[in-house]
Amino acid sequence: MTANTVPPTEAVIIDEMGAEQAPRGVPALRYVGAKVAGACVSMVMVIILGFFAFKILPGDPVAVMARERQMSAAQMDQLREQLGLNKPLLEQFWDYLVNVFTLNLGESYVYKTSVASLIGQYFWNTILLTGTAAVLAIALGLWLGQKAGWRHGSTFDKITSGSSLVLWSVPTFWLGLILLMIFGGTLHWFPTGGMVSPDPPADAMGRVLDVASHMVLPVITMVAVVYAQYVMVMRASLMEEMSADYLTTARAKGLREDLVRRRHAVPNALLPTVTLVFMHLGGLIAGAVTVETVFSWPGLGKLTFEAISGPDLPLLQGTFVVFSAVIIVMNLFADLLYRQLDPRVRS
Amino acid sequence: MRIRPGARTTRAFSLAVAAAMMVALPAGVADAAPAPQVPTADATASPSPAKADAQTLRIATSGFVDSFNPFTSIYLLPTNAIRYMYEYLVQNSAVDGSPTAGLAAEWKAEDGGKKWVYTLHDGMKWSDGQPITSADVVYTYRQMMTVPALGTANGNLVSNFAAVDAPDDKTVVVTLKTPQAPNPGSEIPIVPKHVWEKVSDPATFANDSDVVGSGPFTLVSYKANQSIVLKANPNFWRGAPKIDRLQYIYYTNSDAQVQALRSGDVDLVTALSPTQFDALKGVDGITTHSGEGRRYTSLSLNPGFKTRDGKPFGTANPALADVAVRQAIRLGTDTDTLLKKVLDGKGVLATSFIPASFPKWHLADDDPAIVTFDPAAAKAKLDADGWKPGPDGIRVKDGKKLQLRMMVDADDLTEQSAAEYFAPWMKNIGIAIDVQSTDSDTISAKSTKGDYDIYFTGWSVNPDPDYQLGINTCMNLPTNTDGTGGTSQDGYCNPKFDALYNQQRSELDETKRQGIVRDMLRMNYADTAQVATWYANSLEAYRSDRFTGFTLQPEKTGIIANQAGYWGYLTVHAVGASDQAGSGANVGLIVVGGIVVVIVIGGVIFFLMRRRRMADVE
Repeated sequence: MTANTVPPTEAVIIDEMGAEQAPRGVPALRYVGAKVAGACVSMVMVIILGFFAFKILPGDPVAVMARERQMSAAQMDQLREQLGLNKPLLEQFWDYLVNVFTLNLGESYVYKTSVASLIGQYFWNTILLTGTAAVLAIALGLWLGQKAGWRHGSTFDKITSGSSLVLWSVPTFWLGLILLMIFGGTLHWFPTGGMVSPDPPADAMGRVLDVASHMVLPVITMVAVVYAQYVMVMRASLMEEMSADYLTTARAKGLREDLVRRRHAVPNALLPTVTLVFMHLGGLIAGAVTVETVFSWPGLGKLTFEAISGPDLPLLQGTFVVFSAVIIVMNLFADLLYRQLDPRVRS
Repeated sequence: MRIRPGARTTRAFSLAVAAAMMVALPAGVADAAPAPQVPTADATASPSPAKADAQTLRIATSGFVDSFNPFTSIYLLPTNAIRYMYEYLVQNSAVDGSPTAGLAAEWKAEDGGKKWVYTLHDGMKWSDGQPITSADVVYTYRQMMTVPALGTANGNLVSNFAAVDAPDDKTVVVTLKTPQAPNPGSEIPIVPKHVWEKVSDPATFANDSDVVGSGPFTLVSYKANQSIVLKANPNFWRGAPKIDRLQYIYYTNSDAQVQALRSGDVDLVTALSPTQFDALKGVDGITTHSGEGRRYTSLSLNPGFKTRDGKPFGTANPALADVAVRQAIRLGTDTDTLLKKVLDGKGVLATSFIPASFPKWHLADDDPAIVTFDPAAAKAKLDADGWKPGPDGIRVKDGKKLQLRMMVDADDLTEQSAAEYFAPWMKNIGIAIDVQSTDSDTISAKSTKGDYDIYFTGWSVNPDPDYQLGINTCMNLPTNTDGTGGTSQDGYCNPKFDALYNQQRSELDETKRQGIVRDMLRMNYADTAQVATWYANSLEAYRSDRFTGFTLQPEKTGIIANQAGYWGYLTVHAVGASDQAGSGANVGLIVVGGIVVVIVIGGVIFFLMRRRRMADVE
């Protein structure tokens, strides 16, 4: 039985049979074990790299901090001592490891507070922005993709694929600035940056709308540049299903074309996009750097951007480790989930 | 068709939500509407009484904030905010930055500048109404002198203090270790003793809300990466400012700041690029302002770094140790063209490392020591020094080519473009320049280690030139061969310069001191450890349809923001009561509301239609 000819109902049956047939148990464990071990190795590499990659960066953080100040050598030594920069490298590495494993992540040079608490504070702002953008991009991309794939070659397909690819190729920074200039600076429709007005409305509804109005431009920017990948994957995967026998069966049952697509073709075509969605979810937080920088959104991306300009080494290391961890975990999920969803991976 | 049990409930819920949104939206928009109109006296219905008729000057910023603790904060933005929050004993005047009354109404130097006696104004009060007395000054100074952690920000300013005493409530006596001419009461924010002595650990105190201060504004609240709010201090001894609040609003990106000014989300933007500045010229309601800054830019020529005890370090080309080569580089550099072409004329031609905005100390353009661009003289100087042109036109001496490395910041268009002018000029006089484009962190690291021949550098200079002169003395050279343990501007060391430095430091007659300082600048000019290129203007723009009356420092030609003082925002006041912009966010809210309504209604319709069609078919 080839993959293309498995109708969804049969796939479910195979799945259930597999569960009863036990021999899958050991390979499944091995599979999960291998994936988890791989993720752990990646994580260890990330943690080690997180320290040394930023340590070999040129420049003395204290010299950069003191750049515009009239400070004496004694004051600079005092700062070095406060930041722990006068310790031997191995000792600094040990401190770093302790900080990582106690989930404290060290103290930010600039904010004078623990990096973990900073990331905790800014995390939800980023999730609000990128989560909204991701949901919209996925919904829009998949919907357009399956429409376009079903009628591939049509004008609708050409327009959809063309426009999404053009937006995909546009630099995020540029698109954001153009939107900012037109809808913020010139038309005054939306705020030019930030997440809330400097003097936010007192009532809850006003606050929600205030945040929403700040979200419009960054969300549009993020959606515009990423939805193309869903369009393309969905379109391609639906086209693969189109010649499948089970669709002929469905049509023979007298189903409307619309329902054949929605009930039978799309669920099967959705599989490859699951991995994509999860991989995208992992990259969500890290991907916000550009958009948050353009729109001054107080999230992790902006925090990272400022950590680089600082240079605020503990903060930079912290965001690096956290971003990488999220991506590794999400990829692991994608692997595990894909196996669960698609019987072909298990065989 | 099989209808899911919850379908009817879902549909009812969708309709209910849609209806609720329709009802709630206009109310929400109406409530939110007055928010952006704060900067005027317009007292329309506002949800928050605190800002009903507040006049708030909004300033765009992207600055770092470590804390608002005057003992430890070192970043520019909080340091500026601290200038507004805490008065010094002696302030820098708006006219030319020279010492003027702060908390002290008058002062006199005794014992040849070893003892300074300050008399405070009568009846001054902290923003919480408590009296300001000499005890506050003594408390502040003594904390800095005795607790090392409290000297992080300004410890160098009290390093010459031997004792601080208060014979009575109005008098402060500062006894120094060695006599000094720069006023010891400058640049140190005085904190209220009654507040700070209750703080358990002053070194880690963030001081970021409801601050008790003595300056024109005091900090109300700080939201990291969002906003900083300061309110006018009615008890300020010079009288309360004419606006009610200062609000710093965070914009990560300078182009976004420009858009925020255009849309009216902010009233003042600073540190504009020449392109942004020109784009804002002539925009309705906006005034651009190009003010003389307190920063110099120069080409640092590495004369060969040495530690304080004479150990050489760094990688300078030995040719640069020869003063004739350095002087030839100056003669071959057309700073006039650099200013006009690279900086588009938005600055002042530099003579030394003391900017023209400090006329008391600055070396004038027509000073006899100043030489003009003269490639022929440069060639003659190199010829006389034994550097003979080789076959490719590059000069050679003792078999070594006159070839110099030049570091430029890859992110800095000004440096890139200046290098494009500079390299051909040098080639013309027979010096090969190898331009190396790199990042600012590398430049900072390499320059500290003396690992360069030529690079662009600059400093923001304080009204008193003592510090800047000091980092040009042999006494301030690094103590270690990795360049740490001292700050040297250009690796310059000349014992004669040091002797003059010590002389000016204790010369209490200001005219005489000016003479000595100018002699030092001439000496440094002739020794040519640097070629000062320009004093870039600070490019600012503000909503002149809302605010007017900024005081500049220095007067007439100076700057609004980033002054060495609090003058800029002290006299600014609102224009009329009309609000030209500010409706922007309302439209945004209405549009967002509209989108939400359309989506909800559309969703409900889609849902209903789909149900019906499905029922038809299956």
